[in-house]
Amino acid sequence: MAMIDVQDVRKAYGGRTVLDGVSFTVEPGEIFGILGPNGAGKTTTVECIGGLRRRDGGRICVAGMDPADEGTAFREAVGIQLQESRLPDKQTVREALELYSAFYARPRDWRELVARLDLAGQQDAAYATLSGGQKQRLSVALALIGNPRVAILDELTTGLDPAARREVWGLLEDLRGTGVTLLLVSHFMEEAERLCDRVAVIDAGRVVALDTPEGLAASVQTDQRMTFEPSRPVDPDLLRLLPEVHTATEQGSRLVVTGTDDVTAAVVIALHGHGIAVHRLRVDQPRLDDAFVALTHEDEEAHR
Amino acid sequence: MSAATAMIRSEARLLARNPGVVLWAAILPVAAAVVLGALPATRNPTADLGGSSFFSVYQPVLVLFAIAILAIQALPDVLTRYREMGVLKRLRTTPASPALLLVAQLVLVLGVSVLSTVVIVVVPAFLGAPLPRSPLLFLLAYLLSAWAFLGIGMVIASLFRNAKVAAGFGTVLFFVLQFFAGLWIQRPLMPGWMRGISDWTASGAASQALADAAAGHWPRLLHIGVLLGWGVVTSLLAVRLFRWE
Repeated sequence: MAMIDVQDVRKAYGGRTVLDGVSFTVEPGEIFGILGPNGAGKTTTVECIGGLRRRDGGRICVAGMDPADEGTAFREAVGIQLQESRLPDKQTVREALELYSAFYARPRDWRELVARLDLAGQQDAAYATLSGGQKQRLSVALALIGNPRVAILDELTTGLDPAARREVWGLLEDLRGTGVTLLLVSHFMEEAERLCDRVAVIDAGRVVALDTPEGLAASVQTDQRMTFEPSRPVDPDLLRLLPEVHTATEQGSRLVVTGTDDVTAAVVIALHGHGIAVHRLRVDQPRLDDAFVALTHEDEEAHR
Repeated sequence: MSAATAMIRSEARLLARNPGVVLWAAILPVAAAVVLGALPATRNPTADLGGSSFFSVYQPVLVLFAIAILAIQALPDVLTRYREMGVLKRLRTTPASPALLLVAQLVLVLGVSVLSTVVIVVVPAFLGAPLPRSPLLFLLAYLLSAWAFLGIGMVIASLFRNAKVAAGFGTVLFFVLQFFAGLWIQRPLMPGWMRGISDWTASGAASQALADAAAGHWPRLLHIGVLLGWGVVTSLLAVRLFRWE
């Protein structure tokens, strides 16, 4: 049975539709990403799933419970890390963890969490003195302290510098395989690519795509793109004759060629035939980024 | 440890780490009461104060000083900041209700001000100053006053989204309340019209009710009614207006 089952969920604020029939399911142990541009309805979706907001219509079932009931059993089963939620400045890491442990019937050992989250050295540090990455890791710790079956993490790495972001990602990778189902809200494609088993792209209150990150990236038919320096000047028209090549342009001493999946091999072989070597070759795969832009952009077009 | 105990302990620790509140709510009024109690001259009835002694006029003011700092300044400051920071929302995600935090805060504020009141009343007695003649009536007047003040504090915490605005409003209101309690012009010395206004304020009614109880007689019905009125109305308003987010 699905751990999270969301069916046709609707929500409007004062007549403005925010969620327009969102549906998806998340399997136990899965890391599921929700992607979308700002204002797409990501946070509203997870707040309905987390029982912090009431949906206007549709069905939600999390670990066999309806979040709208806001029961204690639901709160025990679901840990939530909220966007922009802080702690009192003078509370220490240990105090926060001990306090939140007391709220749950079967809390995790906070010492183990602290060790796992690499916060052991900061146990007695006041919240205000922690770095951004440490604050986020503490926030994750608080979402996990109750030993939840589902953890919802909203914009976990927004506002973190790249090093701190990687730190938090490393932690989430460690969580894979511990049986916790993770629902991750993000607008970082790199984050989703690295962590998520599957992602749903939400735009204007609807799920516009749902697949693995690789599947999504492949689904948008973007060209392969290669750039290189030929050992001597090449006429781009020569390359345009190849059936695999769609475009070929000169950029200073470099050539930029786009085309089908086989374009790289075709170009290298053709140039080799002319005795030209290919230097400093770079090939870009279509990435989730491209898929995201294509998906959310298409949707914008459709709305016009 | 139960969730409630853990919450009260945690909030108590955080309160103790707020040196401003500790200084103003505990140390200052207590020190003033000790000085006042140690000076025999303050215990003599003066004609200027309508036959009351300086000590008996000031003791209620100091008692109210402690609760006002805690209820009107510290309480709304903490609650609006917690709302702003998302602490209340985070609590909603746990099996513990955010109401627990509210309870913890009220328990603490009341607890600390009761403690400071006990010190303000008892320590000067060791130095020769009089104890309230009717401790029970004094307690009754105190509890009614505390209710009214806590209610006002909760209304401030409900009305203002912004912690800085709430704190600023609390500070102004604190001085207004202390004025009508008689911190600068003692109630017996106030002109009639001013005392008339003071009678209808939570702090004026509280101050007189405490003074009457300390002198050994029942507070006037007017002051009991005014305190009850403030307590009921502010509580209803706070329940209606308070938001977690």
